[in-house]
Amino acid sequence: MDYFIQQLINGITLGGIYALIALGYTMVYGVIQLINFAHGEFFAAGGYVGVILLSYFAGRGLMETHPWICLGMSFMLTMGYCAFLAMGVEKVAYLPLRNQSRLAALLSALGVSIFLSNALMLTQGVFDKPYPGELFNGGWEFGLVTISYLQVMIVTMTIVLLVSLNILVFKTKMGMAMRATAQDKTMSALVAIGSNRIISLTFAIGAGLAAAAGIMVGLYYGSVRYDMGFVPGIKAFSAAVLGGIGNITGAMLGGLIIGMVEIFGAGYISGQYKDVFAFIILIAVLYFKPTGIMGVNVDDTRV
Amino acid sequence: MKKRVLSMMVMGLILVPFLFGPVSAKTLRIGSMGPLTGPYAADGNDIKNGVLAAIKVIEDEGGIPGYDTIQLFPQDTACDPKQAVASANKLINLEVVGVIGAYCSSSTIPASATLAEEDIIVITPASTHQDVTDRGLPYVFRMCGRDDAQAPAAVKFMKEALGAKTIFILDDKTTYSQGLADGVAKASEAMGIEIVGRDHVNQGDKDFSAVLTMAKTKGADIFYMSLQNHSTGSIMAIQARRMGLKAKIVSNDAMFHPNFMKVAKQAAEGIYVTYGYTDKTTDAYKKYEKIFTAKYGEIGAYATYAYDGAIALLKSIKAAGSTDPERVKAEMMKLDYDGASKHVKFEKNGDSGSSYIAFQVKNGDYVPYWTPAQGVLK
Repeated sequence: MDYFIQQLINGITLGGIYALIALGYTMVYGVIQLINFAHGEFFAAGGYVGVILLSYFAGRGLMETHPWICLGMSFMLTMGYCAFLAMGVEKVAYLPLRNQSRLAALLSALGVSIFLSNALMLTQGVFDKPYPGELFNGGWEFGLVTISYLQVMIVTMTIVLLVSLNILVFKTKMGMAMRATAQDKTMSALVAIGSNRIISLTFAIGAGLAAAAGIMVGLYYGSVRYDMGFVPGIKAFSAAVLGGIGNITGAMLGGLIIGMVEIFGAGYISGQYKDVFAFIILIAVLYFKPTGIMGVNVDDTRV
Repeated sequence: MKKRVLSMMVMGLILVPFLFGPVSAKTLRIGSMGPLTGPYAADGNDIKNGVLAAIKVIEDEGGIPGYDTIQLFPQDTACDPKQAVASANKLINLEVVGVIGAYCSSSTIPASATLAEEDIIVITPASTHQDVTDRGLPYVFRMCGRDDAQAPAAVKFMKEALGAKTIFILDDKTTYSQGLADGVAKASEAMGIEIVGRDHVNQGDKDFSAVLTMAKTKGADIFYMSLQNHSTGSIMAIQARRMGLKAKIVSNDAMFHPNFMKVAKQAAEGIYVTYGYTDKTTDAYKKYEKIFTAKYGEIGAYATYAYDGAIALLKSIKAAGSTDPERVKAEMMKLDYDGASKHVKFEKNGDSGSSYIAFQVKNGDYVPYWTPAQGVLK
């Protein structure tokens, strides 16, 4: 039983991180039907900006005196930076292709992904960058179950971000504009919703969430590396598809499911099949329900 | 028409350097192979820098008679067998006289087979899999030790020095790490250590919480990490400590890297690593250390072996006064001197002997802890 609970906690932590990244994929797909393959790189960039800021604070000794302020500042600045990065990428790589075939934008996304990950390698080096994370070592022990402070922090942060995103999308005017653009760009333009602005905003929010996930991954695993965006990117994309791409609640659910299945697969069968189980679930769900768990079957050719 | 003529001229101009490139003679060409990009990029760059340091030393000593410069052509194998063969072919086209590399055993084995077709000398600084030298290829040499020497040494260490009764073995499914883990499992059985668990993780994965929870529940005395790369190792060490894994962690030669401790920090303390013994007080090592650190920073795990391999190759070419592989090989077999990493003397099959001892991480440094001959060092 202890073993099960420990694995459950591991699974929720990993699932929460996947969910945060998956939201970016699903939101962007929701508004412009583009699979933004560069999204994993926003996550990696977040991890790197986080380590640069935290190392800076730690170097000045501020981490010992004001740990929470430093952490909060790092999160805010990193999310802001990645939001601007994503808006820039959108302007340069996707906006000019808005009225071209979807394939062109998709290839552009792949190109941006390769460009960003190599830019990260060239500017930051090939070595792992360690996170100054000693502060958050330790945790609570209940018999054989260990819950580290970091796991609690990650899960709490994830919940806070997910709830605020839900409020933003479903309770505010801005969210309404976003949903309107997702439903029909032409019609929403007729009621004075600037679709380009909304698309930009969607990219920014998605990248901000991915950046937060990047810092949390850095803190949790202790280091970041320039190619860290690739594998989690693919997993989060699967999570978005699993949950029904375009659906925000679906992406959260998908992320959690992929994380749990991975951990339980690894914990009860074998670590080498970790990825296999994640993708088996994906295939199984798509086989029986091609739109994903929460997805609705919409005709993409709507006017 | 005008356009076509113009484009033909441009094409012609582009091709000019290719026509004249190889003729600018008087350059001795050697190649290096290793992963310069991807997850193992750090180790590949260490190898490249080690070879560059060796070239500098030889050139400072007057170079190779008959050649103005020595040029290195570093190739990126990305630790991928297909790309390794492609870079081997590229080196053949570049007409190199010898190659230092590659890093991953799974790259070295196919790449050296390709290079063997053209009788090009290959010296691997890092591939420890038995098959690298056991295939009987005439021009393959190895500076580092062998897995079938490392595994028994590690198990002997765990049994004698740590009093191990039970062991949990983990590898990351690469040719190298799995071969080594198999060796450890075999040796453990032979020496009466009970294997309570054996699992694998995927390369490039970051989350090991599931596997570590399993290892913790099994409660083995020893947690043996056989991993391809120090970066995976440092992440695993951090997670193991946070999880409260009580077993003693013993790991393989790939963890012998300054970056392992830089990332893992306190989590690395107390971890045991088996690695070939290098006497850091010799003149040869000090000379190498001075040149390497001045230009490339900290010395990585395999940089020293790459340096020694390149020195051995260049020395032999100099002594042979020719680049004919048969004659260079004859000179290489005659080598008998103190290199930076070890005493360089090649055996008949191309190996240069293994000297595995156990190190313990203490205050951010690898401290020799145990040798097969002397037992635990005081």
